[in-house]
Amino acid sequence: MQENSISANNFEQCQKCSLCETVCPVMANNPKYPGPKRSGPDGERYRLKNGIFFEDALKYCLNCKRCEVACPSGVRIADLIQQARIDFGRKAPKLRDMMLASTDQMGPIAGAFAPIVNFSLGLAPVKGLMDITIGVDRHRTLPKYSSETFVHWYRKNAEASQAAYKKQISYYHGCYANYNYPQLGKDFVAVMNAFGIGVQLLENERCCGVAKIANGMIAAATKDAKTNVEAFRKSVRQGRDIVTVSTTCTMTLLEEYPELLKVDNADVKDHISLVEQFLYKGIASGELKPVWKEGFRARAAYHCPCHQERLGWGIFTIELLRMIPGMELIELESNCCGIAGTYGFKKENYKVSQAIGKPLFDSIAAVAPDYVACECETCKWQIEMSAGVPVKNPVSILAEALDLEKTAELNR
Amino acid sequence: MKFDVLIIGGGLAGMTAATKLQSEGLRCAVVAEGLSLHNVSRREFCAAGGTLLAGDKVVSGRFSGDRLISVRTEKLGDVDLEADNYILATGKYFSGGLAADMDRLYEPLFGLDVEYDEDRSKWFDASFSAPQKFLEFGVKVQDGRALKDGVQIVNLYPAGEILAGISSAQGDARESVINSAIEAAAAIGRK
Amino acid sequence: MPANNEFDVIIIGGGITGAGTARDCAMRGLKVLLVERRDIATGASGRNHGLLHSGARYAVKDSESAEECIKENKILRRIAAHCVEDTGGLFITLPEDADSGYGFDYQAKFLEACNNAGIEARAISPREAIQMEPSVNPRLIGAVVVPDGSVDPFRLTCANVTDAVLHGAKVLLYTEFVDFIKEADTIVGVKLLDTRTGQTSEYRAPVTVNAAGIWGHGIAAKAGVQVGMYPAKGALLVFGHRVNNVVINRCRKSADGDILVPGDSVTIIGTTSTKVPFEECDNMEVTPDEVRLLLREGCALCPALAHTRILRAYAGVRPLVASDDDPTGRSISRGIVCLDHETRDGVKGFVTITGGKLMTYRLMAEQATDLVCRKLGVNKACSTAQTPLPGSMDGRIENVSKCFEGKPSAGQKGAAGRQGDLVTRIRFDSDADRQLVCECENVTLAEIKYAVRELGVSNLEDLRRRTRVGMGTCQGTLCIRKAAKALAEALGKPELAEKLAADYLNERWKGMRAVGWGDTLREMEFMQRVYKFEKPYSYDEV
Repeated sequence: MQENSISANNFEQCQKCSLCETVCPVMANNPKYPGPKRSGPDGERYRLKNGIFFEDALKYCLNCKRCEVACPSGVRIADLIQQARIDFGRKAPKLRDMMLASTDQMGPIAGAFAPIVNFSLGLAPVKGLMDITIGVDRHRTLPKYSSETFVHWYRKNAEASQAAYKKQISYYHGCYANYNYPQLGKDFVAVMNAFGIGVQLLENERCCGVAKIANGMIAAATKDAKTNVEAFRKSVRQGRDIVTVSTTCTMTLLEEYPELLKVDNADVKDHISLVEQFLYKGIASGELKPVWKEGFRARAAYHCPCHQERLGWGIFTIELLRMIPGMELIELESNCCGIAGTYGFKKENYKVSQAIGKPLFDSIAAVAPDYVACECETCKWQIEMSAGVPVKNPVSILAEALDLEKTAELNR
Repeated sequence: MKFDVLIIGGGLAGMTAATKLQSEGLRCAVVAEGLSLHNVSRREFCAAGGTLLAGDKVVSGRFSGDRLISVRTEKLGDVDLEADNYILATGKYFSGGLAADMDRLYEPLFGLDVEYDEDRSKWFDASFSAPQKFLEFGVKVQDGRALKDGVQIVNLYPAGEILAGISSAQGDARESVINSAIEAAAAIGRK
Repeated sequence: MPANNEFDVIIIGGGITGAGTARDCAMRGLKVLLVERRDIATGASGRNHGLLHSGARYAVKDSESAEECIKENKILRRIAAHCVEDTGGLFITLPEDADSGYGFDYQAKFLEACNNAGIEARAISPREAIQMEPSVNPRLIGAVVVPDGSVDPFRLTCANVTDAVLHGAKVLLYTEFVDFIKEADTIVGVKLLDTRTGQTSEYRAPVTVNAAGIWGHGIAAKAGVQVGMYPAKGALLVFGHRVNNVVINRCRKSADGDILVPGDSVTIIGTTSTKVPFEECDNMEVTPDEVRLLLREGCALCPALAHTRILRAYAGVRPLVASDDDPTGRSISRGIVCLDHETRDGVKGFVTITGGKLMTYRLMAEQATDLVCRKLGVNKACSTAQTPLPGSMDGRIENVSKCFEGKPSAGQKGAAGRQGDLVTRIRFDSDADRQLVCECENVTLAEIKYAVRELGVSNLEDLRRRTRVGMGTCQGTLCIRKAAKALAEALGKPELAEKLAADYLNERWKGMRAVGWGDTLREMEFMQRVYKFEKPYSYDEV
């Protein structure tokens, strides 16, 4: 008896040390937000008494999970807050929120008309209209859509040659690589193939659902989650582990599925890894042998995205990039970029979003790197817009730094 | 991942020892989580090339005979972290270095031997402001090394509040904490 | 003697019985003086389960008590809406109960007895019981639903005192009874000592009521009468959160640790019954054996308790009153004991009201007040059953919260839940006043100032009884310093802050010592660090 204390998301283990409050990027910039401690474990005790104690202000939580990383008592603070929003929050999401969150639906439509869409979404009057009507802030640079999705390119150009490789993995490409920036997917395939690993697609990949969860579309997110987990199971049965590229997708697939959506993924969790983790382990064990390009030089600053802090796998990215001769890697002090996915697009959050990211933008300016290395696509949008510095995914950096031909020879 | 020294716990003791050893040229890693990260500067350690696993926590260790071979952390899963020597600076109760249930006091990470009074009625003084016995407890040490089931673990050095007699809640323990860390680092440096 | 020292009735004891009697007497137009040596509800009234009995527990063995209980239960729901929570209750049958003769036969007997006593009871299936209360022991084989509820005894006592004062009563807290003023065989007044200033005083009244719980034994002795009382200690544990939302009992003969009551933001398990000497009554400690027993029995009701954080342990002492009919003094009277010492002992002007339960305080007060009025020749009927207590005009927190302009903050909602409709008297004017002082329990500076202004607060323990400051998971670690400062300033004595904090820390510490393991032990170390050092960590404000 009493060997340990078990409560939902460990809320009872909170000691009220308030450390979470010191690391919350929202609390520092938005006085309306009660903060992680009060929204999470404190709020939970009173919400158990009466749901009237749920505060709408919990919507200001970014779900960056820095509170959880800082908590010395293991309280899953961000999960407590998201769960409360699911249980007590606004039941019907706004149209804007549904549009921002429904990447699988908006992506193909926007992609089909990509040139027009990209052009008009760059026009000030259009952005002004969106600001007034649906509430997407006019200052925000909107992501561009690609006319050809990654999946389409893959099926046309890469699929056929994959079976020949001795090892096979399944690639969870995510919405960004598919609809906005297929180059990332292309780089991923190039790097994997160079290491002698064939890339297959999952039978039925859906958006990971992180934006749907944040915007109250729980039923839709759960449906997609179940589809994804089934696809993972099938892949594992066929002998292929799953490799991901986006830190937020990864965190969602691994943690949010069982914790918030109650979708069980225990049997596939250990078969999913982030590409930097996958490659680091392979290279460190000697299984994968890289050959680096002669004369590759770069001065990059690494920004660890919030969800990567939560996963704790930034060390793999850092160690991996440090392996590249000619790479000067500067670790930026860990700070939230402020965009938090769809959060920063919303008019009511824009100012706070930018205030949160300011320390990061300033430190990037101080370092003045060639580019910022970062695994997260929304951080990329935010940093490129607000700090004016290009951002490269580590996979794309590897694609550039590896001598792909020589590596392929060595790993045949 | 292999290091010369792995320091478990990034508080005052952990960072003091880590910074000293890293600046002496040993390849060090610190696994630090929670409170410790925010009241101790890690800049010097990182600038000297040390590896900081921030926000992570050691959850298990593999022992063989009288040595600690490797440890694993919560976030790195099945990746083994190996080091020639280890410093255990996980603090006391608040930070989880020591724990108690209804029946006993124990060291929750490796199950090391602990020095404490089994008579619970002695643990607390009725007056809040009086010295409290429970703050005096800590892991047993022999020649600066930890003991597990009576066996001295020759490469595991406890430092800081996890030691008996050191508590930041009983007085200004800064000096004792720092000294214990320097001693542990020196013992390793001498090897 | 000046007229302002003369009253119609003096009531000794500021527990629920004294408070209820003061209210009833004042409502009937009497000039009342209520005297209490410490703060309201510091005796058994402040150290119980907080259970609003349906009376089902007595149905089988003592149908009279059961009937009394359910009547009062219904009355309290009406008149004390903001103090009472309609949780409902379950009486569960476990397999081991069936084995020991308390199976379905007993359940049937229990059901019949309840319904005969006017207690709405019905049997439900284990599945329904689990649906109603998911934390109940899933091994249960049967359950009965009854109209149990939970009550906040501090709020209830405070509301009675407030009403008494509204009807003209004078209340002296921290004022100890020293001795009676006697003229021949008549009690004509009392001698008092203000424990804070050391000043003595005298008050006179034709009738004095002894409503001092277990301490009434000594008071009666001072009047020259013998009232047989036995102190029976009861230990209880407070868990960190509301594990259950429905009261859970065992459907069998009453035993230790078989009631689990949700109250506000916590759950309480109790209780035990051990005879203790009178000397121990003012300083009881919960023993490790008592803790183990309560946990063990609690887990039978709700297995999750085995891994639920325990915030603190506390003990109260019930006054078990010897039945007057038994000269040996060993038989315990179950019901309300209202003694007219004139007819019983030849001492005029003195009445003792004791026995009973927290639940039946209003009836006890009615009986005592009827007796007092008879002695004074006053012919007024009791109206306490019909008149809502202050704050109870509309108890539901959802409705009370509507009185705020705009969206109420967590602190305002918390205050609404505690103070009922009197929350409109709290001034949430400035930003500073709207700040939370106790974050665990949502208590704002505004509510603290209100308590000082209108509810008679002298120290942090008093404040805690009226606002729940320091009753959350951190047991005051985060708020004691702030609260002490705020209280000292509100009292106009800023120099008191340190002593206020030190006293309350000791009080909180006592409850934690008995359960010093797991997360509570961590909290205790944290608390030590925070209060022994100005800056335990590098961030500025704790």
